[in-house]
Amino acid sequence: MSIRLLRAGLPGLAIALVPLTTSHAHEIVGNRFFPATLGIDDPGVNDELSLPTVDSFKTGDIPPVRQRDISGEFSKRITEDFAISFGSTYTFLGPIDPTAAGANGFQNLETTFKYRVFKDPVHEFVMSVGLSVEWGGTGSANIGAESFNVYTPTLYFGKGWGDLPDTLSWLRPVAITGQVGYAIPGKRSITTFGIDPDTGDQTIDTEFNPRVLNWGGSIQYSMPYLKSAVVDLGLPDFVNRLIPLVEANLQTPISNTLTSGTTTTGTINPGVIWAGNKFQFGVEALIPINRQSGSNVGVIAQLHFYLDDIDPNGIGKPIFGNAVSPARPFVRN
Amino acid sequence: MQRSSLIGMILLLLLATGEANAHAMLDHAEPRVGNKVASPPREVTLWFTQKLEQAFSTITVTNAAGQRVDSGKTRVSGSQMSVSLRSGGTGTYHVNWHVLSVDTHTTDGNFTFQVGE
Repeated sequence: MSIRLLRAGLPGLAIALVPLTTSHAHEIVGNRFFPATLGIDDPGVNDELSLPTVDSFKTGDIPPVRQRDISGEFSKRITEDFAISFGSTYTFLGPIDPTAAGANGFQNLETTFKYRVFKDPVHEFVMSVGLSVEWGGTGSANIGAESFNVYTPTLYFGKGWGDLPDTLSWLRPVAITGQVGYAIPGKRSITTFGIDPDTGDQTIDTEFNPRVLNWGGSIQYSMPYLKSAVVDLGLPDFVNRLIPLVEANLQTPISNTLTSGTTTTGTINPGVIWAGNKFQFGVEALIPINRQSGSNVGVIAQLHFYLDDIDPNGIGKPIFGNAVSPARPFVRN
Repeated sequence: MQRSSLIGMILLLLLATGEANAHAMLDHAEPRVGNKVASPPREVTLWFTQKLEQAFSTITVTNAAGQRVDSGKTRVSGSQMSVSLRSGGTGTYHVNWHVLSVDTHTTDGNFTFQVGE
């Protein structure tokens, strides 16, 4: 899963729902290589390590809070089509107001079970389903880690445009990916009891935990694909490894929204990925789609290792069954 | 040892252990992918990023009419693979390749080049 909802408990500050990336994968389908995207998960299953992913942005709170995250995620194939990933994130919350206190700590651990259900190399199409579990109580409450589990079944898909006709060959390096998930909190609401400082009366506050649609996509232009399958322009090697892309990473509360509202939040992330043979590096801007999503343009960067290339006969192969090597017909470092 | 140093050592170890094991990928080709040549080439040569196994590594080439114009005998030398061509006239040639690298991973792909016109 690539989206988590964070509600921070920083004193005096109400932290809005913000996206956070933790989990990524890469996939090869025929001529097409889908890189590990930073904002959303890619549509495939593989052995890989994202370490680290770092991001920095200001939340949509008033006043805003500077949030910085550093996260890691490890994905292991159990069979050729089934993988389990484990992710963890450490968050630093720093209020813009210097008189307010900050906070930092781990967010809840997250585990994703992902199964590739369909793969069509000829049409460069792949689809997977997954279930992500955010384990409540494993993170630090002072940065907003919830005390309950959150379950998110998700559908992932990817389609390369390599089957376009010759007249549109310059568009063949384009690919789109997407995901649609539905986050279901393990508790419908949380009730807290307190004392009104003015009257001394007991207060009861109930916060409803919404069910949230996590959705997003990417459109990407693969320079490696252009060189190896469309036209070799003799460009510098560095350029031939670039994959410029734009991601959208959005969350829409759907039900149980009495206290959360139903406003869609999220970011549009333009950026670029450099894809090597054994690892990739990506950097993207985080552009909030509205005031509730953030108060400035943030940044996210990630170093990602292809374990199937680094150690194909060891940690990079499925635990059960033989690895069926993907086609990767272009040069990566 | 600081945590950052430990992570760095782990990453270096991961990279080092796989030095000879990455997939065989197309580095470049002659004729070049998507480019035009004046006359039908005598052979197609592909260069890969890893050494190849002779077995199961093949190139097939078809001309604009969809007829196979390769000799059917793919030659492999190290990371290079070639196949001789019969003259197939002008137009768009389609190259399909499939390789088995020394670490037993397979990769495949395809591209075109133009002859004449």
